[in-house]
Amino acid sequence: MDRQMLALGAVLVALTLPVGAAELRVGFSQDALTLDPANHRKRETETIIRNMCDGLLTRDSHMKVVPEVAESYRQIDAKTWEIKLRKSVRFHSGAVLTAEDVKFTLDRLTQDNAMGGQTSPRKDLLGPVSSVDIVDPQTIRIRLSSPWPILPAMLPFQELVRKGFVDRVGSAGLATQVDCVGPFKLVEWRRGDSIILERFADYYGGSQEIPPVGPAKVDRVIFRIIPENSSRVAALLAGEVDIINELPVSAMRQVDASGRAKVMRANGTRTFFVALNTAKKPFDDPRVRKALNHAIDRKLIIDRVLSGTAVPLNGVLSPQAFGFNADLPEYKYDPNRAKALLAEAGYGSGLTLMLDAEGAFKDVAEAIASMLQRAGIKATVQVWEGAVLTPIWRDAAKRRERDMYFTSWGNGSLDPSDIMLPTLHTGGRGNSAGYSNAKVDELLDAAETELDPAKRRALYSEAQSIVNADAPWIFLWLPQDLYGVSTRVSGWAPSPDSRINLHRAMVK
Amino acid sequence: MGTVVDRLLQLVTVLLGVTVIVFVMITLTPGDPVEIMLGDMKAAPEQAEALRRDMGLDRPPVERFFRFIGNAVQGNFGLSFFHRRPVIDVIAERLPATIELTLAALVLALAISIPLGALAAVQKGGALDRAATIGALLGVSMPGFWFGILLIMLFAVQLGVLPVSGRIGYGDEVPALTGLLTIDTLLAGRFDSFAQALRHLALPSLTLALPMAAPLMRVTRASMLEVLRSDYVMFAEAKGLSRRRVLWRHALKNALMPAVTIAALETGSLLGGNMIVESVFGWPGLGRLVVESIFARNYPLVQAAVLLYAVTYVLLNLLADLAYTLLNPKVRL
Repeated sequence: MDRQMLALGAVLVALTLPVGAAELRVGFSQDALTLDPANHRKRETETIIRNMCDGLLTRDSHMKVVPEVAESYRQIDAKTWEIKLRKSVRFHSGAVLTAEDVKFTLDRLTQDNAMGGQTSPRKDLLGPVSSVDIVDPQTIRIRLSSPWPILPAMLPFQELVRKGFVDRVGSAGLATQVDCVGPFKLVEWRRGDSIILERFADYYGGSQEIPPVGPAKVDRVIFRIIPENSSRVAALLAGEVDIINELPVSAMRQVDASGRAKVMRANGTRTFFVALNTAKKPFDDPRVRKALNHAIDRKLIIDRVLSGTAVPLNGVLSPQAFGFNADLPEYKYDPNRAKALLAEAGYGSGLTLMLDAEGAFKDVAEAIASMLQRAGIKATVQVWEGAVLTPIWRDAAKRRERDMYFTSWGNGSLDPSDIMLPTLHTGGRGNSAGYSNAKVDELLDAAETELDPAKRRALYSEAQSIVNADAPWIFLWLPQDLYGVSTRVSGWAPSPDSRINLHRAMVK
Repeated sequence: MGTVVDRLLQLVTVLLGVTVIVFVMITLTPGDPVEIMLGDMKAAPEQAEALRRDMGLDRPPVERFFRFIGNAVQGNFGLSFFHRRPVIDVIAERLPATIELTLAALVLALAISIPLGALAAVQKGGALDRAATIGALLGVSMPGFWFGILLIMLFAVQLGVLPVSGRIGYGDEVPALTGLLTIDTLLAGRFDSFAQALRHLALPSLTLALPMAAPLMRVTRASMLEVLRSDYVMFAEAKGLSRRRVLWRHALKNALMPAVTIAALETGSLLGGNMIVESVFGWPGLGRLVVESIFARNYPLVQAAVLLYAVTYVLLNLLADLAYTLLNPKVRL
């Protein structure tokens, strides 16, 4: 009998620990700051957490918002959304997800001091969410203090936690422990070194709209933290890791030539531009702003300085964003046209301007400055530390004497509300150009409360046209995220939200 | 013994001074941790205000300073802004890796430099002496970053014999007792894991050891030359003691004193963690954490770490002085 038990035990062990378990390793640039989905504001941290923790909604590879743990969602009225939950969704601990867990998760994110006395740094990502009601065990209603059409676009940023678990371990415990409903469970977090995950066998399968549905394909996932670019590339080439993020442009050729790995890319969500201080001469004159746009050969900079890893933009939005206006006219590179416009504006004898940039963008900023020189503008670059430069340009009084600012704005939701409102609305918190156009304000305000997607699209489209014509910025580009991916890997492609979701990835 | 107590009392003054200096520097440095934390997806002003309150940054600097001192005396260094966990926990997680790397580099540096320095002095002007001098020059002048990458390209990518990064292989987990994986694996009787830990330690410790070994070698050589010219060595030789015994027992012991001082100081700075080497080899140590924290204006962590550095420095200097008395009984503290 004992012998039989032993034999059975051996078989069970063999079943639970398959020989040559499929293991996928990611060489990742930054460690997670915490494993608490509500207590950080960092994309890299979210990327790691997202492999363990699913949300109500997610995005497919085309960035369309689709239900994940939610079965469906619909808008009841301007200030109420209803979400139906899928049945039999299990946490890693085995407990079944309930509407109470969902309400708890959202309350923890949106109520003041709800995380052991702290307020979630992600609170404003849920904007005007004021309360969550449980309608029945599978249904919740989210109430808003003001209309907010982009709620579905913002929900993919939040992951669900279990109420009973948080009650037990507290917010402090949640920083290092995980009980979520995602495709992988936490095995061990070696701080600064690696995060080891293993397949969650009872996974509900993930979004029904993103095939294949089911448990993860690999047995184990390891995020190895390798902050140094060259070492991350070396680890890929040595076969120690299978996917690396933030592949440096300089290593693209080496990776492609290695035969072991290839370069993969996705459009990012961060729009780069040069903000022109429209409150100040000479930028108060639209002809000058247009001249500056004509003076920059964006395609040349993208080809030569950025090695072709960016998409030129004629406006503010990513081509993947909701409401992207594909018909905006391009400011063609034409130094003579630029000179003519400057002369017309009364600056024919030339201009002397300063371009502010952070150290990381010195090369690009200098390329821009040298192109401005060709149009007769004496442009110089002043390099700053970001922590110093950002507050200057954020504040109308502090930036009064500054000219131009090489900067960017992230649009993770891929919804114009999240980028046009802050950067182009009068008084917007990221409106470093000090741009103000009553018509644009009106269109953006209307879009904020418009519930019909087609009408919202039209409002944003018109706003983009006006901004393009007003040219408060030198429109630049949208950089692509680069990844090095081993030829062992299949079933995975990078996505614009810079997540590395490994649920469907396979290794040979 | 009284001197040791005096020295420890001085430590208190040093720590207070360091705290004031660091606090003033941090307060005067432009940059806002809240802005940086919310930078990825730019946040609403109310969100920034809530965070600022959470971090205690809405209080005036003087109040913040005294609150920090009051808490620090009780061993509470506050929450790390970005990890949102106690600073002490975050530092404690990263310290063992740095200690292990430092000790390995120290042992390696001493093992290279002392015999080489002594032999170079004995065979002054010979081939070994010249080779060692050139080697020392290279060791001092080679940037750690470049040398580290070079080692990775050779041993990990080309030869595939050593790992690029990390501290130990997966599946080699052992219960953490000391946090030093080489020791923990031995205590657990896991020799295969011990070998893994050593393999991971090899390249980063070599990268750190070479620039440390170079000055140690030169100092050992110089002081050995001086000792070899001294009367008691000649007397010992005249007594008919074997050359080997004279060199290793009498001369080297006395020649080691300057090397001990340098080794102690170098160890002190290495214990602060080496940002470059830790980054290149993905080594989860303190140096990387502190530099990242400075850029992110993570004040509580920077303050606690600098205090830790100060304590380490003072204690190591004290240890170096104590080591003198062992090497040379004429020296009294």
